[in-house]
Amino acid sequence: MSGRRPPRSADDASLAPRVREDTIAAVATAPGRAAIAVVRASGADALRICGRIVEPRGGWPVPAREATRCRVHDVDDPASTIDEGLITVFPAPRSYTGETIIELGVHGGAYVPTAVLAAFVRAGARVAEPGEFTERAVLHGKLDLLRAEAIADLIDARSRSAHRIAMQQLSGALSDHLETLRTAVIQIEALLAYDVDFPSEDDGALPRRNVLVACDGTIAALDALLATVPAAILGREGATVVLAGPPNAGKSSLLNALAGEARVIVSDTPGTTRDAVDVLLEHDPWPLRLVDTAGLREGADPVERLGIEVSARWLARAHVVVACAETVESLTAAMAAISALSAAPVIGALTKFDLVAKSYEIPRMANPVVAVSATTGAGLTALLDEITKVVLVTTGGPDADTPMVTRARHRAALERARGELLTFREAWNDGALPAPVAAVHVHEAVRALDELIGAVEVDDVLARVFSTFCVGK
Amino acid sequence: MAASRVLGADARVALVTSSLDTIGQMSCNPAIGGVAKGTVVREIDALGGVMGRATDMASIQFRMLNRGKGPAVWAPRAQCDRALYRKAVRELLESQPGITLVEGTVRRLLFASGDPRVAGIETMSGVQLRGRSVVITTGTFLRGRIHIGMDTQVSGGRAGEEATTHLAEQIAEVGITTARFKTGTPPRIEGNTVDRSKLERQDSEIGDFEYAWSAFWRGSRTFTPLEQAPCWITFAGAATKEIVATHLKESAMYGGAIGSRGPRYCPSIEDKILRFPDAERHQIFLEPEGLGTSEMYVNGLSTSLPADIQLQMLRSVPGLERVEMTRPGYAIEYDYYPPTQLFPWLEVRAIAGLFFAGQINGTTGYEEAGAQGVVAGLNAALRARDLDTVTFGRETSYIGVLCDDLVTRGVDEPYRLFTSRSEFRLTVRQDNALRRMSDIGLSLGLYDDHEREIIARRADDEVRILRLARETQARSEHVDAQLVAAGTAPLLHPVRVAELAKRQGASLSALFAATGVTEELPREALITVELELKYAGYFAKERYAADRLRRMSEYPLPDDAPYAEMRTLSVESRQKLAARRPLSLAQAASVPGVSPADLQNLILEIERSRS
Repeated sequence: MSGRRPPRSADDASLAPRVREDTIAAVATAPGRAAIAVVRASGADALRICGRIVEPRGGWPVPAREATRCRVHDVDDPASTIDEGLITVFPAPRSYTGETIIELGVHGGAYVPTAVLAAFVRAGARVAEPGEFTERAVLHGKLDLLRAEAIADLIDARSRSAHRIAMQQLSGALSDHLETLRTAVIQIEALLAYDVDFPSEDDGALPRRNVLVACDGTIAALDALLATVPAAILGREGATVVLAGPPNAGKSSLLNALAGEARVIVSDTPGTTRDAVDVLLEHDPWPLRLVDTAGLREGADPVERLGIEVSARWLARAHVVVACAETVESLTAAMAAISALSAAPVIGALTKFDLVAKSYEIPRMANPVVAVSATTGAGLTALLDEITKVVLVTTGGPDADTPMVTRARHRAALERARGELLTFREAWNDGALPAPVAAVHVHEAVRALDELIGAVEVDDVLARVFSTFCVGK
Repeated sequence: MAASRVLGADARVALVTSSLDTIGQMSCNPAIGGVAKGTVVREIDALGGVMGRATDMASIQFRMLNRGKGPAVWAPRAQCDRALYRKAVRELLESQPGITLVEGTVRRLLFASGDPRVAGIETMSGVQLRGRSVVITTGTFLRGRIHIGMDTQVSGGRAGEEATTHLAEQIAEVGITTARFKTGTPPRIEGNTVDRSKLERQDSEIGDFEYAWSAFWRGSRTFTPLEQAPCWITFAGAATKEIVATHLKESAMYGGAIGSRGPRYCPSIEDKILRFPDAERHQIFLEPEGLGTSEMYVNGLSTSLPADIQLQMLRSVPGLERVEMTRPGYAIEYDYYPPTQLFPWLEVRAIAGLFFAGQINGTTGYEEAGAQGVVAGLNAALRARDLDTVTFGRETSYIGVLCDDLVTRGVDEPYRLFTSRSEFRLTVRQDNALRRMSDIGLSLGLYDDHEREIIARRADDEVRILRLARETQARSEHVDAQLVAAGTAPLLHPVRVAELAKRQGASLSALFAATGVTEELPREALITVELELKYAGYFAKERYAADRLRRMSEYPLPDDAPYAEMRTLSVESRQKLAARRPLSLAQAASVPGVSPADLQNLILEIERSRS
């Protein structure tokens, strides 16, 4: 009952089901010392396997979807208690995967969950591969692919905006938006079907322009979605803010002050920070990835030189660079050096402002300059405001109306759909292809979108023809 | 016809009809073909059916629809002389050995005691005909009811002909679900009272195409087109709209006399005006009823208004100010049996040996009916011999699309074919019908020597033309003029004709002419080869999908599969599959509501139950 089995009478790999039907098991909670852990199994055989290692209080069967106290023991050996815990049974198909799922709540820690998993395996389950529960949920039609991905993103979310994007996708905003787009592409198919199927109708020949207008509108909508890619990356990974400047200019102290906690070793010896250190800072509208690089000083020891190289690499990826220096003169020099290395906008930070006389006035410079003190916290808010302003100018803010495209897979499919529509548009515009031939490209565009969300029926096209046109025989 | 061809020398086929004089009677407009439908006529012909030949013998106007869009989407259509068409069908049937025409109205089906299989029929006059298979093709006659306005309702299957009721009652008793549709026809007029000076004339295009519907004319027999007649185009404008709007309550359909559903794409003038109030005008075609009559058919003005209002309405149309109406239009309601009760070869699931074809299955159109007639006829003969039935794939024919749509999706309005119903509209075309259908035809032994020779010659022609195209070099001086005229680049060095034909606007026959190929090459095979060359990449996509569909249709599903217990399928899928009981994975895939995920799980469930 395990592994892939092709259908007996169709020797076609494409017909072979991708769903494996053996029972899988895994520890669902994170490893390490913890009060409780959950070991989970899914598959047609989950109940039978569980029967060999679990003794519920009150015996089998246990009520569905209710936690029941139980004892977990080794295979067919009720005397060898591994732990006491709670068993919850989710019978197929009303479960996350669509298969029967068993969840065992046991004690956490290094030993117990692993021992329970080992018992599951000895009783006939297989250790699940990463993501296999969710994969099964998708293959059983419990989740669409986009929502499954959103679940993964939700689990991985490290910031409020990453969480917001994942929740938006999980709520179906992206699925709905793609469905709308797909409908628009099918509308173009309907126009083409009308062109061929109703050659002499009241409405007369189909104006070629109608098709072009519909096509352009859809291409623009695809462009708008694709344009969210940088924003989605920002939302997940943060805007990269590189702190740069001469050694011992207070970059690490500034980073710590901004991050609100001591994450980096701070030292008075020049060049203590050997490599880039980054901290993801919760911030609106995008999180900020603060990166402290080694100093920009030329020609130091080999490690330092690596540090400088790392600096250059980070500089190339920066959304904004904060040049740090103690004096106006060294700040001017640092900003000049950074501008030569990076195209990113530069903000000056006069660090250790607490050591400067209160009456000191910052001279006007080409770039914005903020005086800050890691010690007193003065100027930190002003610096963050300045960073936000610059990041918003270069990235644009989040667009509330367009859900974000978060993955390379989405991007590839959308670009394919767009490419097919462009090819179609060109052929239609110069009349090079008859409608049904050109329509192959439109259909390919629908298929690209289908790969993201679902399947298309021929009836979709006809239904639209009839709802839109006056058609008489 | 199909049945007698399968059975060959010992065929004993009886064709029972209420009136021998109305065999081949066209009850709607006198035209055959059109988009998708034209292709179906050629498929019917390629399987030995009469529709193509009869159309050739009766056609008085030929049009190639979608002419400007390239041969890939050409759709032939013919106006026919009603009387000649009837005569042709009768002649073709009478000349076919093994067919006996019997006049009589069928009262009931016969069953042998203790055997659920149908055993024959009995007519109203008590004549019993025994047979191992029965095909019922009642058109709109089953409990037909004709409506003209609110007050005139008569039982009838066509204007002036009796409806059939006894058979309907027996079939309902057997437990077959019945439903009702309506359809309608427009009035007909005296052509001599039409002011043609105000109308747009539409002439036949037969001269441009030398088109023959039947593939089997050439060879020993020849075919010459009849004298051709024009159609005339006018429109229903504001004046007509007002008359219809004023009298809407008197219409059978809008006054409440008819409740059943009609086709959206063949709407009555009442429908058009209500549903599209913004349309300024609706096109009307005046179609000749025949060469020997001046009567005309007013296509586009289907109605169930009272006769006097119909005349008023007609006279509001430009060119018809002084027209005389010869027959009023009418709406007709009739029984059909939801076709999901059939196997894909159109045999009734509940009664072995009984087949339904045509409007009885909820379709509309001569071509759709003819296609089902062929499928039911072939299979009735195969079942009579206890041989395996044949089904037609969606990927090889519109006949296949039609049957699959009917039995797996069912109908919620009278079903008509469109190219957009097919996923294979590039490779399933009118020019290659013979090539697509003849494999099945040959395996069933449908053809005589002469026809087999034509089939073989057509295949040879395509091979010969393709070889010629691949071998012939075109040089700059031969073809540059036409290439530039077609908007493509002149040649830098010699190129094979097969390569050049791929260019948009390049014509294979012109390329042959320019490169000195003098062999006479048949027109239609040239078109087929040219399309194959030009759109090879696009066709390949369809063929890939076709292969997959074919493999899916070879994956059988047991008739008694316990869908209700398949808990890994969505509830909707379980219900739909249990109701439809698909015979193959391909059929399951076209049941609406069954998702790709459901199909995967279905395979698993089936495999599990087998192991």
